Amino acid sequence: MSLLIEAGYEFWNPIIWLIAFAVLMALVFLFRKRGQAKYKKDTDQTRIFLCGEEVPEAEQRYVRGGNVYWGFFETLKEYYNGVVRPHTGVVNDYVIWFVAVTAISAIVLFIVELAR
Amino acid sequence: MSTLIAHSSILIIAVTLATAFLTPLVGIASKRARNTLIVLALAFVAFLVVALARDVMLNQIHVYTLGAAAPDLTIPGGAIVPVRIILEVDGLSAFMGIVIAIVSLVAVIYSMSALKTETGQNGFYTLLLLMAAGMFGMVFTGDLFNLFVFLEITSISGAALIAFRTKFADSQEGGFKYIVVSAVASLMILFAIGLLYSQYNLLNIGALAATMEYTMLDRIALVILMSAFVMKLGGVPLHMWLSDTYSVAPASIPALLIVASQASLYALLRTSFTLYGVTLDQSVAGWIIIIVGLLSMFVGVTMAIRQTDITRLIAYNCVCESGFMLVGLGVGLAVLADPGALDAFGTMAMNGAVFHMINHALFEGLLFLVAGAIFYRIGTRDLNQMCGLGHTMKLTSVLFLLGALASAGIPPFNGFASKILIYESVYQFNPILTIIGILVSILTLAVFMKVFFSAFTGASLPRYRDVREVPRPMVAAMIVLAAGIIFFGLFPGLVLDWIVQPATDALVNQGVYIDAIMGAVP
Repeated sequence: MSLLIEAGYEFWNPIIWLIAFAVLMALVFLFRKRGQAKYKKDTDQTRIFLCGEEVPEAEQRYVRGGNVYWGFFETLKEYYNGVVRPHTGVVNDYVIWFVAVTAISAIVLFIVELAR
Repeated sequence: MSTLIAHSSILIIAVTLATAFLTPLVGIASKRARNTLIVLALAFVAFLVVALARDVMLNQIHVYTLGAAAPDLTIPGGAIVPVRIILEVDGLSAFMGIVIAIVSLVAVIYSMSALKTETGQNGFYTLLLLMAAGMFGMVFTGDLFNLFVFLEITSISGAALIAFRTKFADSQEGGFKYIVVSAVASLMILFAIGLLYSQYNLLNIGALAATMEYTMLDRIALVILMSAFVMKLGGVPLHMWLSDTYSVAPASIPALLIVASQASLYALLRTSFTLYGVTLDQSVAGWIIIIVGLLSMFVGVTMAIRQTDITRLIAYNCVCESGFMLVGLGVGLAVLADPGALDAFGTMAMNGAVFHMINHALFEGLLFLVAGAIFYRIGTRDLNQMCGLGHTMKLTSVLFLLGALASAGIPPFNGFASKILIYESVYQFNPILTIIGILVSILTLAVFMKVFFSAFTGASLPRYRDVREVPRPMVAAMIVLAAGIIFFGLFPGLVLDWIVQPATDALVNQGVYIDAIMGAVP
């Protein structure tokens, strides 16, 4: 019984990973400690500066979930047109898919049997 | 103790069922007494499951014949085939029992706070316990007809739980879709069982496997069983009902629905590895499962990344994660008849897939509970309406991040441990599968970064400034799953040795399952 995964050329020891991660975090902490110490919370240092313009309210200045990865969806528009279409939300369609998949699986199985 | 273990398989089902029917009676007298009864009963059931699993790991298979003079008397005197209802628990059944016990207990604890203000709680807990009993029955039963019966119990109670919040129209629609899909799948399974029974006059899986001739009717039954179980587990292209139903159920129920899907995956494995086993054309069946798995991974993740409803997004991610399990198990099935390949990578691929089943239940369950916690506090599932919740729900955001990283296969969490087993073993079968798997994992990370960015980061919106963490029982339930994610991630070797490897061995060794039933035949 071992605490790690080791089989063939697979090897994974999370404890070694954790130690490496802790060392890295310690280094990050050390670098951070050497940084500017004059930070003051809730002063002009922490307020948003927008070229002197008035900063919009929080409600207006965040990217909504629906807009994230816009470019990804725009690039894959054709793929999404095809893949979204079957997701009709109509349960009758889901049952038709079941019938189709069963029929295709049966045909594949029988063709392979005949080929042998 | 040995008597308790000898009767444990039936006790697990009976105690859960009895508690289900006691719950409304006790609930009339006192809510507190009802809640205590449910938690104690499920804790006792969990204890029995662990004791049974330990016994199975140490002493091989556990057989329980209902109504026989002795539990292991599978074939009555004068008969040559088993005729009674038989429960048969091997490594895989015990593994599934552990998953069901953990998630049921967590779901109950979470629900006690999450549904505190809802009416009809007595009915809710009765249904939840019925669903748990159905799932235990599915994974412990040794015969096909009882598999169908327990599948029905699971499906009907699941549909009622999805539609529980009748004030929401989409919940009722989700419940309706679930029951239609489940009824179609169940009826087709019953038809396939009928085909097998008409030829062999047998319903016991072990006895059927021993006499299976792989006739034309057997092949038709196989195709129907596989399609029906793939639909129930949500494999592409039969997955479309899954996001419509998981997303509208009360927060704790999707965690249970995931386990119900896995019980269907268990039934698929029992059918292909144990019932058909060596008679099956494993290469073709294996490749069909691999293709369904690949489609599930890719379509699941690309649909998930597009969603703006947090629970629909997680539901599509469930489809994707099921794909990883199917690919691992498909590779194992494809090389089952080749001992060299099975030793070199087939067993490891199945280990990865089985390990991923319990990991999936933990991290996906946690993600659903977090989504439920967000809905509990702000009353919306729409990511477009969320922003900056990390300011006020710090613990919830950390728990979400933990589940998300585990799902994306980031070390040192449990998802990484199972995915690396799948990647490396599947690579030796076909490198393309591993490349697709890694690409899908990267996309999974992108999916959850979208949620984390939209819901938890950014400025604190004025309307959410008063939002607080959810009540303690809900947090406790999430922490239990998070602890499982960390433990399974840090000590994957222990989990592999104790519960995963025996489950994989049970899949590979069809003869052991058959001998446990037919051993008495001269």
